[in-house]
Amino acid sequence: MTLTKKPTALIVLDVLSVTGILGLLVLVLFFTPVEATMGSIQKIFYFHVASAWAGMLSFLIAAGAGIGYLSSRRFSWDWLSLAAVQVGVVFGLVAIISGMIWARPVWNTWWVWDPRLTTTTIMELIYSAYFILRAGLTTPETRARLGAVYAILSAATVPLTFFSIRLFRTIHPVVIAAGSEGASFNMSPRMQMTFITGLIVFTILLVDLIWHCYHLSKRKAKEQWEIK
Amino acid sequence: MKPFQRYLKTIWQIVRKDIRVEWRGRQGIPVMLVFSLLIVFLFNFALQLSPELQAGLTAGLLWVSLAFASTLGLNRSINLERETGALDGLLLAPVDRSAVFFGKSLSNFLFTTLVALVLLPIFGLFYQQNLFHPALILALLLGVGAYTSLGTLLAALSIQARTRDVLLPVLLFPLALPVLIAAVEASRGVISGQSMGELQSWFLLLLACDILFNAAGLMFFETILEE
Repeated sequence: MTLTKKPTALIVLDVLSVTGILGLLVLVLFFTPVEATMGSIQKIFYFHVASAWAGMLSFLIAAGAGIGYLSSRRFSWDWLSLAAVQVGVVFGLVAIISGMIWARPVWNTWWVWDPRLTTTTIMELIYSAYFILRAGLTTPETRARLGAVYAILSAATVPLTFFSIRLFRTIHPVVIAAGSEGASFNMSPRMQMTFITGLIVFTILLVDLIWHCYHLSKRKAKEQWEIK
Repeated sequence: MKPFQRYLKTIWQIVRKDIRVEWRGRQGIPVMLVFSLLIVFLFNFALQLSPELQAGLTAGLLWVSLAFASTLGLNRSINLERETGALDGLLLAPVDRSAVFFGKSLSNFLFTTLVALVLLPIFGLFYQQNLFHPALILALLLGVGAYTSLGTLLAALSIQARTRDVLLPVLLFPLALPVLIAAVEASRGVISGQSMGELQSWFLLLLACDILFNAAGLMFFETILEE
């Protein structure tokens, strides 16, 4: 096994992600105003929404790569799909945990059965099952093929889950009055700017991490299965 | 014979075969039925249900026990084919694989619906309600249809893994969540006397799930079982 040189574009992305995250941290801490009712805890919002966005995006990439694999049968699509799910699950977890830290002082509880929160957690469960499925399969070909089908199927049901839980809550408005919280505060221009910066930084970070995981899967596949 | 007629005939042949196997062995439906009743009793003690509470929970209990029991049936339906090597025979047959999917899915649907129809009067007896309401039957048919078509698809996926029997519920429950939510809400609404107009969105959601999962079966069953 020879070591391949790290692509220059990946090194650039590495540097961009690290400086981006540090820059975002500076923006959030010193540039954005403190929100009037929630106080400084609101600042977690920039990281929370950005990681939820990155998680969703990577699950979409996983499904797209699944379609790519099924139509071309090239293993590189499978490595991309697996990498996207791996990264997406981590971002999803970050989104849930940061959301819980925010909810503790604002909603006065760690956990609320709010549509977004519940959907994100179910999404995490769906994609944990993706790893369980792959672990149970023995050949790289079945892993890739069934993994692709499952990734596409999962991405197709997530909107239905979200819709059903939201409908469930609208019909029972008394259960959680704070359930529609989130977009109910107005962002100042500075907040908006930081928010959009956050989304861009996390997207760069997402691409960077997926690329790294892709290389890991590729090397593993080459060593274990001797796939070209 | 026209191709479409032949397609329907293939589906019917598979359903007839499954019914015959079930009739001779009687190992699927009784297991599902006993299992679902056990769950009802388990919940009754685990949650200490009082009569007033029970009325509101009937729909939820019905669907949870049905979903668990159906998983047993789904696993069994596909394991039967695998253990006897009949799956290879089915796949070698010169028919469209999606017809095999619809056949298996339809027989799973019939068996689970039968269990549901036996459960209804038992639930009615336990919780002192008349559950034979046309709208509730409609919710049952739509919900069971979506659940078993997704389940058939995922069962075909999970038998290929080493962890086959334990894998199906882990794959099925999170993906079937929209079906279960919509089915429970539609049934609860019907039982508590809401009109169809109020429950329209739940029924439409169930219909959407039916269409989505059957379309997924049509598209992916071939890919899942190719070798």
